[in-house]
Amino acid sequence: MNLSREKILGRVRAALAPLKTRAAHPTFADNAATMRSLSTIDATALFKERLQLVNGRAFDDAASLVAWLKSEGHTHGYCDPTLWPSLESAFENSFKVETSFDRTRIDDYQFGITRSVGAIAETGSIVINDGSTSSRLGALAPWVHIAVVSKKQIYPDLVSAVMSLGEDPNVIWCTGPSKTADVEGILIQGVHGPGVQIALLDI
Amino acid sequence: MPKTTPQRPKGKRIQLMATCLCDAFYDDVAAATVEILEHLGCEIDFPEAQTCCGQPAFNGGDWAASRKVVRHAVKTFAGENPVVVPSGSCAAMMYHGAVLEFEKEPDLASVKQLGHRTWEVCDYIVNGLGISTWSGRFDAKIAFHRSCHLRGSGSTDAVYKLLRSIESVELVEFDEFEQCCGFGGTFSVTFPYISKSMGELKLNHLRAAKPDIIVSADMSCLMHLGGLANKQNQPIKSMHVVQILRDALKNSGGLAK
Amino acid sequence: MKYQQIDQYAAKISDEKRTAVYGGSKAGYDSRKKALFTHYTAPDDLRRLAGNIKQHTIENLDTYLPQVEAKLQANGAKVHWAEDSHEACQHVLEIMRARNATKIVKAKTMVSEEIGLAHYLEKEGIECLETDLGEFIVQIAHDQPSHIVKPIIHKNRREIAKLFEENGLGDYNDDPETITRRARQYLRHKYLEADVGLTGANFVSAESGRLVVVTNEGNSRFSLAATKVHIALVGIEKIVPKDRDLAILLNLLARSGTGQQLTVYTEFISGPRSATQPDGPEEMHVIFVDNGRTEVLASDCREILRCIRCGACLNVCPVYRQASGHAYRSVYPGPVGAVLSPLLAGKKFPELADLPKASSLCGACNEVCPVNIPIPDLLLRLRDRGKREHSEAAAAAAPPLGGFALGATLPIAWKSALALGGLINFVPRALLPRAVKSWIDARGLPPWRGGQFRKWMKQRKMK
Repeated sequence: MNLSREKILGRVRAALAPLKTRAAHPTFADNAATMRSLSTIDATALFKERLQLVNGRAFDDAASLVAWLKSEGHTHGYCDPTLWPSLESAFENSFKVETSFDRTRIDDYQFGITRSVGAIAETGSIVINDGSTSSRLGALAPWVHIAVVSKKQIYPDLVSAVMSLGEDPNVIWCTGPSKTADVEGILIQGVHGPGVQIALLDI
Repeated sequence: MPKTTPQRPKGKRIQLMATCLCDAFYDDVAAATVEILEHLGCEIDFPEAQTCCGQPAFNGGDWAASRKVVRHAVKTFAGENPVVVPSGSCAAMMYHGAVLEFEKEPDLASVKQLGHRTWEVCDYIVNGLGISTWSGRFDAKIAFHRSCHLRGSGSTDAVYKLLRSIESVELVEFDEFEQCCGFGGTFSVTFPYISKSMGELKLNHLRAAKPDIIVSADMSCLMHLGGLANKQNQPIKSMHVVQILRDALKNSGGLAK
Repeated sequence: MKYQQIDQYAAKISDEKRTAVYGGSKAGYDSRKKALFTHYTAPDDLRRLAGNIKQHTIENLDTYLPQVEAKLQANGAKVHWAEDSHEACQHVLEIMRARNATKIVKAKTMVSEEIGLAHYLEKEGIECLETDLGEFIVQIAHDQPSHIVKPIIHKNRREIAKLFEENGLGDYNDDPETITRRARQYLRHKYLEADVGLTGANFVSAESGRLVVVTNEGNSRFSLAATKVHIALVGIEKIVPKDRDLAILLNLLARSGTGQQLTVYTEFISGPRSATQPDGPEEMHVIFVDNGRTEVLASDCREILRCIRCGACLNVCPVYRQASGHAYRSVYPGPVGAVLSPLLAGKKFPELADLPKASSLCGACNEVCPVNIPIPDLLLRLRDRGKREHSEAAAAAAPPLGGFALGATLPIAWKSALALGGLINFVPRALLPRAVKSWIDARGLPPWRGGQFRKWMKQRKMK
């Protein structure tokens, strides 16, 4: 193994040795790839707009979220145990919400509610990571994923989002529900990940 | 991606590269080039020893053969004046292709010297001579086929500037504008099926726009498309940009003799 | 050889297949154009910037490779090095054996195709299940992907429905939503039964040791939520110097490949799962794969290593659209493949040296490339190499141009040819050079006017 390492690195060095100069690392302004003509600079409003463009949904309070879940017939789900105390009151008795995710019964859970660590306004993305997600499977396997998003943690664009990745070993930008266009280029939502991506906006 | 050098000489004393295609088949295109440039006050040298830019062998991968031809061109076009050519692909060969195949050659500098003063003719008229409108009149719906080797140069914008300024020219748009016509030099005979399919697709799009004339800055594309159209028994009318420019002047009696 | 293989292939594909490939490619091109030009005022400036970032990276791989290795190790990942496909497969096998593991769920990675991983593992009794819908379909069809981003661009729904029926995935149903739901249902339990999740990486940051994996389906996430071991196969050229550079590249990747702003999931993975996370890998292995890349780095075509595998060049290429990806006889098709495949073939270069010839050099590929690779220039260099190495595949159907070149260096010979060329109309067709015959059959010839311009010019000068 180490022998391979030395051989490969040796070949890399030999390949680059003849170069008289090496191309420099270009610098670029923070806004080099900012989208033009954004409708608003209000982060929350822009996030909601772009989230909708990628077929995500936003709810401003638990009550409207629960009403929607009920209307869709999604009454059995999972919730991060640290979130449940503040959300419990919004759910009526017809709901069954578990606070631990049982991977032997993944098809039981119609929705999963977990935390996020932020959002990206320009793309309508929700940022989750290992530290904030009580269960990777709980955020991914159910048909509906609800991420609690703090309005104070909405990054305007990719540069700011990338600079805020932090030390967590598994950061994921979720931009809308999972999808595929493999079959004749026809867009189908809900493949292996959730078919519905929701942001529950908290203050 | 072939990019023209920014600081090409702009004088009115020029050398004309006619191209092998015009030498063999399209003498009127070369003649029209002369007529319009002299109308604009140019003094034209035509080095008789000229033959070809070396592109066919270059594209085919026979760089040794191509370099011989380029060296001959370097000798033939010796000097400091602009070299003007009524072909986007020949111009690109001089300022880009030749430079590429001479990268490791001792006479690279002389090849660069030639390439760095070579202009495609419409680029020369607009960006060399500073002409932005064309006088005269030409009554026709024109579909401009942007040949691939105009990419990366000022030629496309120059052609549009000139054609749009001619009275009674109507430019029509067509689908898949960016798609190659399928000529590609020896590609047309080494990949005949694909070349023909590409050409027929291009003809479909062009015809759908119902132009009176199909215009290009490269006769190679028109030779390929025109030939295919003839075999379909649906011939097309095609002209080089310089022929439109010359005829526009003629139509309003403005062509200097 | 009398004919070029790719031209022959194009002539023989079914209308159905050509329609599917053409339509899919064109849609990809249109959506890219819309995304980039609606969102940015100067997308070509961005492409040049991204190209410069990647060029800088590959020219400094001697610094970045050890740097990224150290970072990954500090993050808790194990780093392995594979000189060639066999060694890469062996590393995967060793990791499996060490854990008595027998089942892999695999996200899409072209490197795994390159090294023939699934086939290798199958012989060792290890199940390596594709989870990307397109690749899953390719796998059960025992087919090959024909596009680097849209693997089944060449298939229609009826073929897929039949395939599903034949593989016990329900009665014949060609509704795309039904097909997708069935795959979802089938695969979700497979993830949970598997031991190892295997991915590639679109980028690796040398600054933070983060792998970036972009997907739309959620298959990579599921693979890494359900299993205990993560193996990542990464080509040595996938490095990006700094996290901040990722912002530029990510802004370009999905827009170029699928017309999306971002793919649905952008995963930044720098190590095994965190201590408080119940799901996910406890072990992470990164296998850096050479497999000919150092040779490409040493060649005069190293710019091809900038490639971020977006597929935009395939989508715009008129030859790809006519021939389909399968015509390229290699893992990487289209314009990028025409450069990369013969180069990665090493000693077998002459066998694939016809790929760089399958192009009219139109330059559309460079125009859409998010890292501004000068593909036509690289194709030309490879044509030169193919000629010098006397590749039969490259020489097929090529008209001998030595005579033309000779005539073009001797003005007297040239002028004679101009004078006599009109005789071509009188030469019996059977005696014409093959290339000329081919041209005339398809297009005829315009009237011969050799010498006419020069005569006109002389007369004009005399006035």
